[in-house]
Amino acid sequence: MQKIPRLSTEQRENLVAYLDGELDERAAQEIEQVLARSEVARHEVNMLSRTWDVLGELPRVVASGTFTQNTVSQLQVLNAPRREFRTQPWFQNARRGGVFAGWAAALALSAWVGYSATNRWAPTEADMLLDDLPIIEQYDQLTEVGQIEFLRELRKHGTFNVQPTTPH
Amino acid sequence: MPERTNVTLSDTDENPVLRDPDVRLMLRVKEGDEAAFTELVTSYQDRLVGLLYHLVSNQESAEDLAQEVFLKVYRARQGYEPTAKFATWLFRIASNLASNRRRDKGRKREVSLRTNDSGPLGPRPAEQILAEKSALMPARQLDKTELREVVRAALDGLNERQRLAVLLHKFEEMSYIDIGTTLEMSPAAVKSLLSRARDNLREKLEPYIHYGTQPADNGE
Repeated sequence: MQKIPRLSTEQRENLVAYLDGELDERAAQEIEQVLARSEVARHEVNMLSRTWDVLGELPRVVASGTFTQNTVSQLQVLNAPRREFRTQPWFQNARRGGVFAGWAAALALSAWVGYSATNRWAPTEADMLLDDLPIIEQYDQLTEVGQIEFLRELRKHGTFNVQPTTPH
Repeated sequence: MPERTNVTLSDTDENPVLRDPDVRLMLRVKEGDEAAFTELVTSYQDRLVGLLYHLVSNQESAEDLAQEVFLKVYRARQGYEPTAKFATWLFRIASNLASNRRRDKGRKREVSLRTNDSGPLGPRPAEQILAEKSALMPARQLDKTELREVVRAALDGLNERQRLAVLLHKFEEMSYIDIGTTLEMSPAAVKSLLSRARDNLREKLEPYIHYGTQPADNGE
């Protein structure tokens, strides 16, 4: 018995495209020549065509009667929140509350910043006492001097820069 | 500046896609015309539900998914640009949503199953039907319901892209170019995809078509 030549992948693809009417004229003529001389190709085309036809047995499902209505009603849900959101009383109240809370937070922050700045840079009574400590310690001697010009002369000569010695 | 509301004859010369009446409806939806959207839903609902039914194998899920597709179309209306036929755009959204749904379900089950693999739990119902049918004795004429089951099982045996290409070509009568636009593939790739799909179908369905009977079990 004569051996039947097998079809190449490209020829098989072209057979399907031929059945689908997707080949150009030249390629279609080539396939027709293959079909004319190849029993395998003719069998192939026949089976491809018949299996394609049998797909028509698949059930044809259609949408339920309320499908359009259900889908279109979803548009109201999609559109509604954006249109009515800002006019809702809860939104108005929340917005007022938000503004009030914002101002309160800003005031609290300002107060905290002010307190921190004051605490950091403004001298307290204790700071001032510490600064004047050398004078306070020598207050009795200084008052005995009596003349401010003499004290200025002493400062000029660096007398006050010397740490007082603690008496033993 | 308000957008144009009417498509003129010269517009269709510049952009042939505007000849598609559904594209023009979608442009009206873009301008806020909800009646145009209702018209699109009405004219595509059966086609979309029918297609999705073959992808998810369940009418309720198919309708849920179809509704999701239409709502996605509506949400995307403001950015809509007519670059392809409306049907190819719609079916591309449907294909992406169906794939995402399938992936999500796969993750939930935490079991990876390919459509043409049986997986660790043994053959799935679709595969079982084919196996059971081919094991029946003696050979006899298939009735309509049985043939439908066999065809259904053969279709379920294809991978997702093959199945979608087959459905779009068979039931939507889409050209390779339009299928390519929908599946984001070249027409040459669609040609190969459909060729493989039809080979697979032929392999599974040939025994039933050739003889018009249930194949006999040779083992008995």
